Amino acid sequence: MSMAVEQALTWLQDLKFPTAIRESDWLFPTIETVHVLALVLVVGSIMTVDLRLLGIAQRERPFSEIAAEMLPWTWTAFLVAAAAGLMLFSSKALVYYANVPFRLKMCCLLLAGINMAMFHWLGTRHIEAWDRAQPPRRAKLAGGTSLLLWTAIVATGRWIGFTT
Amino acid sequence: MIQQFCDWLSRTDISVAFQSANWFVPLVQTVHIIAIAILLTTVYVIGFRLIGISRSVQPLARLAARSAPWIWTALSVLLVSGILLTVTEPARELLNWVFRIKMLLVLILAGALWIVQTRTRRDLTYWSESPARRRAARAVGVGFIIIGAGIVTAGRWIAYV
Repeated sequence: MSMAVEQALTWLQDLKFPTAIRESDWLFPTIETVHVLALVLVVGSIMTVDLRLLGIAQRERPFSEIAAEMLPWTWTAFLVAAAAGLMLFSSKALVYYANVPFRLKMCCLLLAGINMAMFHWLGTRHIEAWDRAQPPRRAKLAGGTSLLLWTAIVATGRWIGFTT
Repeated sequence: MIQQFCDWLSRTDISVAFQSANWFVPLVQTVHIIAIAILLTTVYVIGFRLIGISRSVQPLARLAARSAPWIWTALSVLLVSGILLTVTEPARELLNWVFRIKMLLVLILAGALWIVQTRTRRDLTYWSESPARRRAARAVGVGFIIIGAGIVTAGRWIAYV
């Protein structure tokens, strides 16, 4: 770990609120509960869209209708999960930063974001052609990749708890 | 009694085998959490639809019918993965009062889901037929949101009490 990173993380975890989380008996599990509650809604809403892309679920509904129904859930829950996650991280920043499952989780999260952005910009072109039918292969690929990455995010997230 | 049962269960070959594989609990928990993700998202979409603050364009009857197989499949996966976790660490679950509250909430939620599904199947406009029915729908919707959050909360706190 470089000196600058170590100093920044030390500064972060020595702030008032991160210190309070670390020293309290109930703050960490409470914030963690909010994180898990938000996370399951993120994962559930994204997987609903992924399963439609793969042609497994809700085939008779237009893709755009399902995406529009799920998107507010995904974004609201993601903001909550990210805010709670940042609080949990800040309480033991040095430990989490060095933790391998944590790093893997952040990589998967980044990849899931890139996958989602690429699908949004490239995969939804000519959507009228398949909105009510089987999605083309590139859309299925995006759905399958997303499904795998979010499974990995849950798995690595759970793994953090067994290694810190 | 329960204590003795936990002692016996934790010494069975199957429990010992699960305990000795340190990847087993996190793996089963991952499956458990993904099934919760499917269940809770479905329950919350139905709950918001019952309350009437959803942007969903599909009619409640269709939403309920479409969700049914996902709800019961997710609940079955949760039951199996939950049993595996309990067999691995019986005392952690069975002697824990938070675990008992969680099981109670799960039973209430499963019962409420079954009632909503059967009512809606028999009578497609059941929840919008009268002001009283619409009030009932809102109450059930709010109940879904609160009980769903309660189950996740209890689930996480099993590890801390």
